[in-house]
Amino acid sequence: MTRQRNIFCYIMVAPALILVCLLGLYPMLASIRMSFLQYDLMLIATQGTPFVGLKNYIELLSRPQFTQTLINTLAFVVVAVGAVVTLGLLVAQVLSREFRGRGMVRTLVLISWFIPPIVAAGIWTWLFQPERSPINAILRFLSLIQSDIRFLTDSNWTLGPLSIPFFAIATVRVWNGLPFTITFIMAGLQSISHEIYEAAEMDGASGIQRFFFVTLPILRPVLLVLITLLSIGGIGHFEVNYIMTGGGPKGLTNILAVMAYTEAYSQYRFDLAAATANIILLMTGVIGFFYVRQQLKERS
Amino acid sequence: MTAQTATQKPAVTHSKRHYRFSRGATTAIGVVFMAGVILFTLFPFYWMLKSSFQTPAEITALPPIWFPLQATLDGYIRALTLYPVPRYLLNSLLVASATAIIATTLASSAGYVLARYRFPGGAAIIGVIIFTQLIPGITRVFPIYFLIKDLGLLNSYFGLILAYLGFSVPYAALLLTAYFTSSSPPELEEAALIDGCNLYSAFFRVVLPISLPGIVAVSIFTFLAAWNDFLWSSLLLSQGQMKTIQVGLRDFFGEAGNLQRINSFMAACVIATIPAILLFRFLQRGMVGGLAAGSVKG
Repeated sequence: MTRQRNIFCYIMVAPALILVCLLGLYPMLASIRMSFLQYDLMLIATQGTPFVGLKNYIELLSRPQFTQTLINTLAFVVVAVGAVVTLGLLVAQVLSREFRGRGMVRTLVLISWFIPPIVAAGIWTWLFQPERSPINAILRFLSLIQSDIRFLTDSNWTLGPLSIPFFAIATVRVWNGLPFTITFIMAGLQSISHEIYEAAEMDGASGIQRFFFVTLPILRPVLLVLITLLSIGGIGHFEVNYIMTGGGPKGLTNILAVMAYTEAYSQYRFDLAAATANIILLMTGVIGFFYVRQQLKERS
Repeated sequence: MTAQTATQKPAVTHSKRHYRFSRGATTAIGVVFMAGVILFTLFPFYWMLKSSFQTPAEITALPPIWFPLQATLDGYIRALTLYPVPRYLLNSLLVASATAIIATTLASSAGYVLARYRFPGGAAIIGVIIFTQLIPGITRVFPIYFLIKDLGLLNSYFGLILAYLGFSVPYAALLLTAYFTSSSPPELEEAALIDGCNLYSAFFRVVLPISLPGIVAVSIFTFLAAWNDFLWSSLLLSQGQMKTIQVGLRDFFGEAGNLQRINSFMAACVIATIPAILLFRFLQRGMVGGLAAGSVKG
């Protein structure tokens, strides 16, 4: 009976598993292999794809833009994930209360959930068009600025990896990721029973105290999972940066995924692209490994 | 005893009063904060819609016009006639639907056994699925490009669908494992097994039909992930008429440096957003919270 059941399980899981291995795991390994070969589309016809060892990595790491791009990638993760989680926590906190019109407010806040990243990038690029930006119009009206902010092209002010285009793009990534974050945290908040709050309230805890001493500790595991997921996604993020600035100006918004894509798409250097992608794989893979181990531990 | 109550009383009233005050203040802060958040999430929508209905003359006006004085459908007409937007939409619809249907079908049987039974290697399989789903697509897009190319499937719908299955199958499998674990009671199929069904017919005749709402919801998530994709389609299906809407928008966007066309570009953006809004409304009646917990899309 057990044997029969096991066979049943393997048959049921096989189609999905085969596809996952073939189109998910295998390409990751193939990408690692590719990064040790010469995979230049311009030379492939005459020279093939000879093994070149670490040459691609050396070429990549010796580029001055590489360090900047790596730092930018991580800075985007820290800033965008930090902002979206903080904002999401506060919004979820408000939305988990009972008040009139809550359903409506919830819909309005979450409605941008599935907006395609390309559309998000398109709308915000138009919002950031300096002369016609409503944001600049308001700031001018309030006399806060004398000349229009060039959101996506100003490279004059920088502080480490931070710059105006950096924040402009981080804003769009927060905008695009906020609904998911709120929903995720709200699902976690549902597990907190009302009795705990009532007990804390009886003990005279204020709203802020309840937030820091009741809600946050209980939400900790949920937040940890959320931050892990958002960070992994953030390290490999591509669309918004690619569409809005293509990495510019002066590489201020360049990130690893955009670098890899451009290398392959415009320079036909798939070897360098694979090497860059593998740095993403290394970072996300390490986090992912611990995440998977934790998840499996919780299941059993 | 009486003395004790007496000494406690003022303390209670004090804390109550303090609480009431802080509640009023918290409410005020909460209202202002939420108004700010709603402005942040909705204003870009407003600006997109507004721009899509403006005339080229109005849209290029300085300073920007906040409310269209003369609404026009020109932007939409141009988006739908000058550019092959309808064709791009159909391409996306076809590819995303096929992906959603195939991925959810394959994933439902896997999700079911992974949620219901413990078998040797089961945990490892779940680990592989979570890991594949987790790691960003850019780490495997390049070898897939050559794989699809070698199969002669570059610039074909089927090639793109195949590539999409690489991230859709693990995504759907995880969502469905979560669904079968939390929302589908095992009693019915246990009864079916006792009544003489075998494991296979119990799944196909009993579990599958009653789990249809969950499976449909998961297929919507899968559909949206494929519909929203740009990375894969821009590499694998970049030729002429067969492009997906996201790649089409990107081309359009390149031309939109020409400010005159911003209204038709925004109109195309509105059109490309419609499925997202419709399906969001549909998903909202139900299981979003529970499913989101298992989903990874950020």
